Amino acid sequence: MHEIGIATEIYRLGRETMEEGGGVQLETVIVAIGDRTGVEPELLCFAWEAITTGSSDHGSKLEVQWCPARQLCDNCGDVAERAPGSWLRLCPLCDGVLRLEGGEELDLLRISFTTNDNPELP
Amino acid sequence: MIEVDVKKRILAANEEAADSLRRRFQESGTLVINLISSPGSGKTTLLEATVDALREKFSLAAIEGDIATERDADRLRRLGIPARQILTGGACHLDARQVIRAFEEGDLGTPEVLFIENVGNLVCPTSYDLGEDFKVVLLSVTEGEDKPFKYPAIFSRAAVTVITKSDLLPHVDFDLDAVREQIGALNPGGRILLTSAKSGEGLDEWMMLLTSELSAKRTG
Repeated sequence: MHEIGIATEIYRLGRETMEEGGGVQLETVIVAIGDRTGVEPELLCFAWEAITTGSSDHGSKLEVQWCPARQLCDNCGDVAERAPGSWLRLCPLCDGVLRLEGGEELDLLRISFTTNDNPELP
Repeated sequence: MIEVDVKKRILAANEEAADSLRRRFQESGTLVINLISSPGSGKTTLLEATVDALREKFSLAAIEGDIATERDADRLRRLGIPARQILTGGACHLDARQVIRAFEEGDLGTPEVLFIENVGNLVCPTSYDLGEDFKVVLLSVTEGEDKPFKYPAIFSRAAVTVITKSDLLPHVDFDLDAVREQIGALNPGGRILLTSAKSGEGLDEWMMLLTSELSAKRTG
C-alpha cells in the first residue's frame, strides 16, 4: 500500500497550496498518474478517503487522470498493441527493443477549494 | 470556490531529498546500491558474503530497512562494518528522508560503498528514489520463475537481477532460461547474475561488478 504514502504527500501539497491561497477546505484535487508508476488509481482514491475522513477536508474528491505510456519501436514505429499492465520491452511485431515514453507521471495538477469569504458559492 | 493550477511532482519532497543524497555521494565518491527483493530472498546473506569479500579492499557501510528488530544491522555489525537500522514501524519501503536521517544520526562514516537494504517487498520500494546509483533486485530460485512478469516494475528498473540460492536448483523446478527470457523482455539492458552465498557460485562476478562500478564512479 504505497498508495497511502503517496496520498499523504498529495494531501500535504494540496493543503499547503490551499493555505497559501487563503483557502479553508479542499474540494477537488486532480492528479496525473502514469501507468509505469505502479500506483493504482482505485487504491489511491481509497487512501484519499481514509486520510481525509474526519478532517476538515472530509468529502473532498481526488480525481485521477490516467497517463498511458507510449511504446516506440525503431522498425514498427508507434506500437499500440499491449496487454494491460504488461511491461514487455520487446516489440510484439518484430521482437525489436521498445522504447517507452511517458507513463512516469506522478503529478499534482490542480486543486479547488473554498475560502471563508465565499462558502456558499458553487 | 477557487481553482489553482499546481503542477508539482507528488513525490517532490522525496526527489529533493534523493537529489541532495546524490550530491553528497557524488562528492564523497560513494557507490550506493539499493537492494530490493521479497522477504527471505537472501539480501542480508548476500551482503554478509559481500562484506566478507570486500571489507579489506574498501570501506563499506549498510542501512537496513525493516518493519521491526535490529537483527539485520546486527548481522552486519558483527562482520565489522557500520550499519544503521531504520525501523519503518509498518511502512513497506524506505524513503530518501529516512536515509538522510540515518546518515545524520548514525555513525556510518564516509564509506566507499553504501548498501541500502530496503524493506522486503517487490512493489512499494520501486517508487522511492533513495539517491542510489542503481537498484539491484534479488530473486531466489525457491520463489518461482514467473516473478519477473508478476512484478514487472522492479524487474524493469533494476540494473542488476541477482538470482540467489543457486545451490538449491537441483531441488526445485525453476526454469532459468524462462527467467532470463522474462527479464530480457522487461529490461533488455539489465544484467543477470546467478549466485549462491552457500556454494559461492557467481560471487566473484558480483564482487567484480561492484568493484568496476565503484571505479567508474570515481573516475566520473
